[in-house]
Amino acid sequence: MKVRDFLRRDLTSVDRDTPLGQVIRLLEQSGHASLPVVDEEGRVIGVVSERDIIRALLPGYMDLLRSASFLPSLNQMAKKLKEIAHLPVERFMTREVVACKPEDTDLHVADLMLRKGLKQIPVVDEAGRLVGVVRRIDLLSHL
Amino acid sequence: MILTVTPNPALDKFYWLATLPETLAPTEEGILIRAEKSLTSAGGKGINVSVFLAAHGVETVAMGFLAGHSGQIILRDLLARGVSANFVWIEGENRTNVALIVRGREYHPIHITEEGPWVTPEAVEIFLRKYERMLRRASFVVLAGHLAPGLGPDFYGELARRARAQGVKVVVHTGGEALLRTFPERPFLVKPDVREALRLGELPVRTKEEILVAGKRAIQEGVELCLISHHLTGDILISADGVWEFEARVPLSTFRNLVGADDALVGGILVGLAQGKDLLESVRYGMAAAVASAEVEEKLCLDKDRILAEMERVEVRRGGP
Repeated sequence: MKVRDFLRRDLTSVDRDTPLGQVIRLLEQSGHASLPVVDEEGRVIGVVSERDIIRALLPGYMDLLRSASFLPSLNQMAKKLKEIAHLPVERFMTREVVACKPEDTDLHVADLMLRKGLKQIPVVDEAGRLVGVVRRIDLLSHL
Repeated sequence: MILTVTPNPALDKFYWLATLPETLAPTEEGILIRAEKSLTSAGGKGINVSVFLAAHGVETVAMGFLAGHSGQIILRDLLARGVSANFVWIEGENRTNVALIVRGREYHPIHITEEGPWVTPEAVEIFLRKYERMLRRASFVVLAGHLAPGLGPDFYGELARRARAQGVKVVVHTGGEALLRTFPERPFLVKPDVREALRLGELPVRTKEEILVAGKRAIQEGVELCLISHHLTGDILISADGVWEFEARVPLSTFRNLVGADDALVGGILVGLAQGKDLLESVRYGMAAAVASAEVEEKLCLDKDRILAEMERVEVRRGGP
């Protein structure tokens, strides 16, 4: 089966200069766990996920420790969020975009998701413009 | 690609009733109305047009403002029907619009509509950036339905201006001041929504003569084509080249749900044009789609064979001076 047969034609996205606070609000309102970041032509130039935002809020050493048990509370994260909420999302997004095309097969997308550990990947046209997304559940429900 | 804009989407809820209580005066037991059947679907004029287009294989993107739980249901329904969705999410909750359809008087449904969530200037700014981007991929844009609270009467005028600047043809399917403000931008087609007031601007559109006067005024003010409903089964098309009357020879007793029929008309015209039909054949297809939609319980008839069969009953003749 081709991606075009089961993709989710949801074009919800953010611009590269969208403030991080607005991105968090959109993730909450729309129920998405990640969002494509697009340029002026609608081409996907990055992806921002809840994980990217949490990583931006945690102190640098947390990546090394791989545990949040050293945090006394979440106050530090709240303070950090206030400091960076106005900054553009392009500073926090993942720039190496893993995307697929409508003509790709379901097997190709499943392989991408497994290998890269992704829950959702954007679908782009020949010009790199966003035309939808594929979630793991979209694949599962079409098996 | 055909872009549709629905500033105030709704969750449409239909209830079919055997009868209504003879009186709504308070009684000891209270008033209980049992529905024989109900249906729920994503709604709003532009959204209905997109659903119709997608069912005909015409690429379409729906835009507007979504909010809350009802917004999630609207989005889910649209995506399931093959419509691409590019909405701005806002605070609050999208409308739920209720239609009560009583057996024997299906052509007079009772509507209960909500106001809809407030659209902030910040949300408008985000929308306009997305809109400009989507216009680059569009051949037509359909501006349809009531404006949401917070949007000024010039909202559609501004969208029409931006579309015109990019060479995209504009179809406007709304009423009141919001419609009139698009006229200077020379829209391709206007289909005035006269459900609440049988007027186009200050001009009445009750009789055929009044429709011709109002339609010709719209053409003088910049509109290319003006399509105005004369009665439930008749529409009049006015252009600089002349006037055409469309009539569907169907008895009103066959109608089961009129909600959405107008939107099927607009969708049908666009499907015809997208398939390369000429204007009059496209309007005939639109009329057939409207009649077929009125004859089914679902809001829109998406059965192409049934619509084609209805075309046999739609007549067109040159009319008016």
